[in-house]
Amino acid sequence: MSAESEKFNLSEWIFTTDHKRIGVMYLIGSIAAFGVAGIMAILIRIEQSSLGPTLADDALTAGQQYNEWLYFHGAAMILAFLIPGLTGFAANYFLPLMIGAADVAFPRINALSVWLFWCGIIVALLGFVIPDTPDIMWTGYPPYSILTGGNTAFYVFTVHLLGFASILGAVNFLVTVIYMRAPGMGWNQLNMFVWSTVTAFVIQLVFVPVLAAAVTMLLFDKYLGTHFFDPSAGGDVLLYQNLFWFYSHPAVYVILLPALGILYEVVATFSKNKIFNYKAGVYGGMWGVVLISGEVWVHHLYISGMPNWIRVGMMISTLLISLPVGLLAISLFGTLYKGAITFELPMKYAISCLFLFLIGGLTGIPLAITALDLHLSETSFIHAHFHYIMGIFATFSVFAAVYYWFPKMTGRMFNEKLGTIGFWLNFIGVNVTFLPLFKIGIDGMPRRYWNYEMFPQFETWHFVAMIGALLVAAGMLLTVSNWIISAFNGEPASDNPWKSKSLEWTHTVSPPGPGNFLKPVEVETDWTPYDYRK
Amino acid sequence: MSQSTSAEHAHHWEVSWAPLVATFGALFLIPFAFSAYYVYEDTFLTVIFAGIGTPLMLAGIAKWVSEGITEKPLLEGVSPSGLPYFIVSEVFIFLGFFVSYWVIRLSAGNAWPPEGTPEINMFMPVIMTVILVASSITYHVAEEKYDHDDLEGFRKWLIISIGLGAIFLGCTIYEYGHLLHLGFGPSTNAYSTIFYTITGFHASHVVIGLGMFIAILIPALSGKTNKYFVFCAGVYWHFVDVIWFFVASQVYFW
Ligand code: HEM
Ligand SMILES: [Cu+2]
Repeated sequence: MSAESEKFNLSEWIFTTDHKRIGVMYLIGSIAAFGVAGIMAILIRIEQSSLGPTLADDALTAGQQYNEWLYFHGAAMILAFLIPGLTGFAANYFLPLMIGAADVAFPRINALSVWLFWCGIIVALLGFVIPDTPDIMWTGYPPYSILTGGNTAFYVFTVHLLGFASILGAVNFLVTVIYMRAPGMGWNQLNMFVWSTVTAFVIQLVFVPVLAAAVTMLLFDKYLGTHFFDPSAGGDVLLYQNLFWFYSHPAVYVILLPALGILYEVVATFSKNKIFNYKAGVYGGMWGVVLISGEVWVHHLYISGMPNWIRVGMMISTLLISLPVGLLAISLFGTLYKGAITFELPMKYAISCLFLFLIGGLTGIPLAITALDLHLSETSFIHAHFHYIMGIFATFSVFAAVYYWFPKMTGRMFNEKLGTIGFWLNFIGVNVTFLPLFKIGIDGMPRRYWNYEMFPQFETWHFVAMIGALLVAAGMLLTVSNWIISAFNGEPASDNPWKSKSLEWTHTVSPPGPGNFLKPVEVETDWTPYDYRK
Repeated sequence: MSQSTSAEHAHHWEVSWAPLVATFGALFLIPFAFSAYYVYEDTFLTVIFAGIGTPLMLAGIAKWVSEGITEKPLLEGVSPSGLPYFIVSEVFIFLGFFVSYWVIRLSAGNAWPPEGTPEINMFMPVIMTVILVASSITYHVAEEKYDHDDLEGFRKWLIISIGLGAIFLGCTIYEYGHLLHLGFGPSTNAYSTIFYTITGFHASHVVIGLGMFIAILIPALSGKTNKYFVFCAGVYWHFVDVIWFFVASQVYFW
């Protein structure tokens, strides 16, 4: 039974408690956030492409609007695009299918999550309607966030809404995986993507509340006059930075892990290979990351003022993260080894992600080393580092996911040619944008400055970066229109066009109907989702 | 726990308007009304937003509860397994506040409580502790009655628990009023910052717990109950009780 034979029924969509439809609503919301935040990014690049005000007549307006764009860009990309795109869309749609469940454990709470997420996006977007648009970056550091005339409350509520959505999602998915696996499915038979979602949600469950507490104190300090972050009355301004990064460093793993999980699925399918060192990847890699994720946050505060012994300790713990991340990299790259590799579009994105992962990960190492970071911190180098890993690697993994599962979600094929042109524009564009930022960062270009008239030597590279950003814009436009057009007009796809062995492909139609499977799923003890020998 | 087969559910898309309506109610009631009042200082707008949000939220919750009581879930009896995870995250949000308190408190050294703090009546937290513990016990009795199919007794002890919870909140309100009268408000000093935030945050949990009790009581009056609701509300209430020990010992007696 495919959804195609049914008439479109709006109320069945907006009141739905079905995990697949909720997944689609997450996808629409997060891509919308991505679009708006992407426009901000282009505006930022254009503003910086020449010295002095570029998109405004006077310096005051230029600075103010730049700060507002930067605020929305960062907050929306991380909190409203990447995290919900990975743990909202991908986990919602595919995790229950992969474990052979008819839905999640708490379908109504799942619907509550998606609507909280949408409300978070609404509040964030309303930021541009109100006269006092927030201008406090995605980090919201006091004292500026308290003293500004901008509306810090909207920032706080966006975080609350998205955070609460995520906590409820964590409860829901952890219980689902524990209790709703198909009969016979043991822990070592789970998809890598399932494990990556589980570990990401464990992190969310424990760390999001701390961020929620931190921004609540910010709200009270600004609007109720409390003194949490006010040293003149006994508060502590660095307290906020600590609490913020106590969440926000682990948050990068909430993005990294599911992104890797998607790549495992894509790479295994298009190499027709089993996962190399499955157990090392899961128990050493993913759980290792969870274990260390909470002990490294201070590397974001190296220049905020602290005793040297803390710097050294945090340098060591940060470098330790390389061990589990290394295990993940080995098992991911190893999965390619001796595989029957083909390069369909999802695989093109996946392979490019492997490259981007190396650049992003390796540039983290000099940042972790305190002596080097004191020079690099707050320069464009930081900017390039985390864009390689989040802005490109994780974003491309979302694209890989959409392309990979497109036939499953729509019952149709995407346009390979259009998609491939989009891919190359994206890939070339991002490198043209961000490689120069490494270079000028090392040379001392400060980060988050709208104007850099004191450093005219950096103008050329900023111009190059803008050209790259325009290429990306064209690529993204092609990519997203490809999805929209193909969803309605693509060639019909078979139920398992990639010949994958995973349950979402082998055991149900495209797209799956209510209840997911026509008959209850059971698996054999020697079944795995990567069993390509037979 | 038994997972019903997918075939039973395969014929139609499951829907419920409760989550959507409750969420938008919450959006108006909290972010919008708060911003209207504190950011834009517009009382009229505040009243409008709260006026839209409150009924939406109540309607959503009412619908949710009635569905939860009558419908057969996909996985019977799973809510008690989900609640502990939620409580883990609650613990961490309290930890966020407590850690902030400890940092501020320890860096103040001997200058504590800071200037501007009036004498705080230590009798009050003792009474409040007794009341809250008593309510945990009375709810336990209610659960016993429920397990023995004594609906009459269940309702009686549930109402007593609700009464005790309400008295606890009354004590909080009285105490706040008294302290505000002495000129000790949230913005007075670092201690008042902590005091109002932590006790207030705890009180908000008491409100949620009471809300759960009332959501159980109303259908119970016409004989409808759900044993997992009854169990979960109890676990949550005991959790709120345990947190209170930390609040009282750290904020009042340290
Ligand atoms: C081995 C891996 C990594 C190491 C050692 C590392 C190290 C660092 C360090 C030390 C900083 C702070 C530099 C400063 O502000 O002075 C930083 C910034 C950042 N990193 Fe990484 N990183 C790694 C991987 C990642 C990953 C996987 C992500 C995301 C998925 C990520 C996202 C970020 C972000 C967003 C920032 C900047 C945040 C801001 O200041 O706004 N990093 N990284
Ligand atoms: Cu970090």
